[in-house]
Amino acid sequence: MKKFLTTAFLFTLAAVAFAQGAPVAAQKSLFEGQFVAHLSLAIAAAGCGLGQGKAVVAACEGVARNPQAAGAIRTTMIIGLALIEALVIYVLVAAFAIK
Amino acid sequence: MEHHASLLAQWLTQVLGLAQHPWPGFAHGASLSVLERYDHLLNAALAALLTMLITTLVRKGLARIPGPLQQIFESVVGGLKEMINDNIAHHGEKYLPFIGTMALFVFFNNLFGLLPGLSPGTSNWNVTLGAALVVFGYYNFHGMREQGFVKYWAHFAGPIWWLAPLMFPLEILGLLSRILSHSLRLFGNIAGEHVVAGIFFGLMPILLPVPMMFLGLFFGLIQTFVFTMLATIYLSGAVSHEH
Repeated sequence: MKKFLTTAFLFTLAAVAFAQGAPVAAQKSLFEGQFVAHLSLAIAAAGCGLGQGKAVVAACEGVARNPQAAGAIRTTMIIGLALIEALVIYVLVAAFAIK
Repeated sequence: MEHHASLLAQWLTQVLGLAQHPWPGFAHGASLSVLERYDHLLNAALAALLTMLITTLVRKGLARIPGPLQQIFESVVGGLKEMINDNIAHHGEKYLPFIGTMALFVFFNNLFGLLPGLSPGTSNWNVTLGAALVVFGYYNFHGMREQGFVKYWAHFAGPIWWLAPLMFPLEILGLLSRILSHSLRLFGNIAGEHVVAGIFFGLMPILLPVPMMFLGLFFGLIQTFVFTMLATIYLSGAVSHEH
C-alpha cells in the first residue's frame, strides 16, 4: 500500500513537472463545447424522469382501479410518454449538433 | 457527429471498386465512397426492399390454413386496422395501406441497428425527415380531399372570425412544427440507442451490449408504434368532419 502511495505521489509530481513544461493552453470557458451538451442532457433527463414517473404512476393507479381499461390507458400512456420524451430528444439532437 | 459507415457499405465499396475521396465538411475529411457517405440511404433502400419482398411473399402464399408468416402478418394488419378504426371515425380502412407501409418501413429500419454489418436508416435525420414529410403531405392531401380546399384551411382559422389573424399563423406554425417533432423523435430515439449500444460495445464487446440490444428491440417496436400512432392521429385530425 505504501509502495502504491509513493508511486502515485511520484506520478502526480511528474505530471505537475510535465505540465509546467507544456505551453499554456488558451483559456476556455467551462460553458462551451461538449461540457455544456452533457450538462444540458443531464438536466433534461432529470426533468424527463420526473415527468414520465408521474405519468406512469397515474397510469398504474388507473389500471389498478379499473383493470378493464388497461388497453386504452396503455395506449394513451405510451403516446404521452413519447411526447414527454421528445423534449429530451430535442436536447439530445442539440447535443449531437454541438459536438 | 462522427460518421461510421456500415460494414455492408464498406464491403460493397470494396466489391464494386468504388472511388473513395474526401467530402467537404463531412467526417473531418475522411476518404469515403458514395455508398459509405450515404449509407443511411442504402439502409433505407434495403428496408424498403425488405418490406416489399416480405409483403409480396405473404401475398403470394395466402392460404386458407395460414403459415407462420401469414399469421404474424394477420395479427399486424389486424392491430393496425383496430388502431385506425379507433382513431378515424368513418371508413378509416382506406388509409390502412399507407399507414401499414410506413409502419413496416420504419420497423425494419429500426431493427437494422441490431444486425451486424448494418446501421439503422432511421438513425439519420434525412430518412426520418423524408418519412415525416411523406406523412405530412399525405394527411394534408387527404384533408383537402375530404373537406374541400377552403374548408380545410378555414379550419385553421379557429371558430371566432376576429381571432383568425392571430390563430391562423399560430396554427400553421403548429402544423409545420409537427414535421420537426415527428421526425426528430424517431431519429433521436434510434440514434441515441444506437450510440449507447456502440459505447457499451466499445467497453466490453461480449455480453455487455446484450441488454442494450434487447432494449433496442423494444424501443424499435415502441417508436414504430408511436410514429404510426401519431401519423394516424394527424390523419384523423385532418380528415374528420365536424357534424
